[in-house]
Amino acid sequence: MILVWGPQTDAPIERVLEALEMRGADVFHIDESDLESLRYDIVFGADCRGWIESRGRQVAIENFRGIYIRPGKPLSGAARKASMVLLAMVSQAQAVLINHPAAGSSNSSKPYQLGLIAQAGFAVPKTLVTTDPVAARAFLHEHGRIIYKSVSGIRSIVASLEMKDEARLEDVRSGPVQLQEYVEGLDVRVHVVGARWFACSVRSSSTDYRHADTMPELCEFDLPENVGERVRALVQSMNLLVAGVDLRVKADESWVCFEVNPSPGFTWYEESTSHQIGEAIVDLLLTNT
Amino acid sequence: MIVVVGSSHDSVATDLVALWPQAALCSAEDLVSSGWVWRQGHAASRTWIVDKKKISDDQVTGVFVRRASVYAEELMTTHPDDRAYLASEIHAFLVFVLAGTSARVVNPINEGAFGEAALRPHRWTQLASQLGIPLRPLRVTSESRRAIRYRTFSVEVVGDEVFGDAPARLRESARCLAQALEIGWGVFVFDSRKRLVTVTTARRPSDAAAVALGRLLEARRT
Repeated sequence: MILVWGPQTDAPIERVLEALEMRGADVFHIDESDLESLRYDIVFGADCRGWIESRGRQVAIENFRGIYIRPGKPLSGAARKASMVLLAMVSQAQAVLINHPAAGSSNSSKPYQLGLIAQAGFAVPKTLVTTDPVAARAFLHEHGRIIYKSVSGIRSIVASLEMKDEARLEDVRSGPVQLQEYVEGLDVRVHVVGARWFACSVRSSSTDYRHADTMPELCEFDLPENVGERVRALVQSMNLLVAGVDLRVKADESWVCFEVNPSPGFTWYEESTSHQIGEAIVDLLLTNT
Repeated sequence: MIVVVGSSHDSVATDLVALWPQAALCSAEDLVSSGWVWRQGHAASRTWIVDKKKISDDQVTGVFVRRASVYAEELMTTHPDDRAYLASEIHAFLVFVLAGTSARVVNPINEGAFGEAALRPHRWTQLASQLGIPLRPLRVTSESRRAIRYRTFSVEVVGDEVFGDAPARLRESARCLAQALEIGWGVFVFDSRKRLVTVTTARRPSDAAAVALGRLLEARRT
């Protein structure tokens, strides 16, 4: 049996549920609205045993062979408690887990994750996190053009700053701001699913293609084998089975890695390519291949 | 110097600052103060703000982490609408700082978390099992159930030192597990059948452990 936990309205959850249905898989779906009434009796030790019950259906934990999770927004009350119990349960369940909650947490601090990416051997953009306007201005002078984005995993619009914007850097006084050198090149998003990868180039007139005024141009990209292997090794080093990796290839064909997203919204990329990422996730859940 | 990362409203944090010579508190107020400089891969430029003063990272010998999160409610000088976002940003920044400092951190970042949150049960239960330490099963249920009271023994570990009057076997189990977890301090709780109940860093260190912690944090990491 496959456990899928996440809102029905979430596109990747919907895609995985559809693909599982097409394969005739036995699926136990927990929507966020089910959490408040979720029943459970679980004994945690070296492993975990017991059952969970939702919408009148009770399932023994040891029956789960694959688990796909994309929990929604933070909750309160009984739903929050049930969510914490589920997180603990999936963390110890003997199943293919996409992805382990702890493995995904590196993305909640982007500069920390950048350190892990650098340790894995990828070039990363020069990065400063500061509340000091003097240091921020020096960083801008050093690079001429920089970008700023959130330090945490909270989605922010990545924007660029140039010398004419120098005065705005006074604002860093009120809280830590992440500044990075601007790296010229072509954006490439690589989705890794187990041993497979799917690469897609993204052309956009905006610094942050996810928030561009016009739809970016997404194309399948022929990722060099050695780069694909390195990306796959990076994802594995973070104990992730599935990830969306943001890279940029420079004019000299060198690669820079910006981020590893442990819970990628892959459907957006699937819609513009022939990539079958959802199917690959289902392969992993059903057969661990 | 020793930096205690915690809240000015936490008496454990302020008592440790008072106990340890040349220790200072890095509070939520410090974390939103101007002057922090933390560059990825550049140890030389790293600057803390501790007790409202700029401190170079190479002046810090040890960091004691007395919080697991930064809370929006702590940021009283920030506009209420911005507090939740800023708390997330500071939390993420603190992860970066604690992972990158050249000082000894007790306890170090693990899987992107600090403080009590870094001691995830799936990790210590797995390591305890590998070390042959029996675990007390924990039953979690949505059904109504009477709470069972039982006797416990606590063992505190600071570096290689073990504190508490538990049997020798439990003291050795705790020391081995602390080493496997790569933590400098922790409290290991066992039941009367010598089964591990929990591992925590949320408690106040005992007097003897606090002194040992001070020694550990004063010594520069080799």
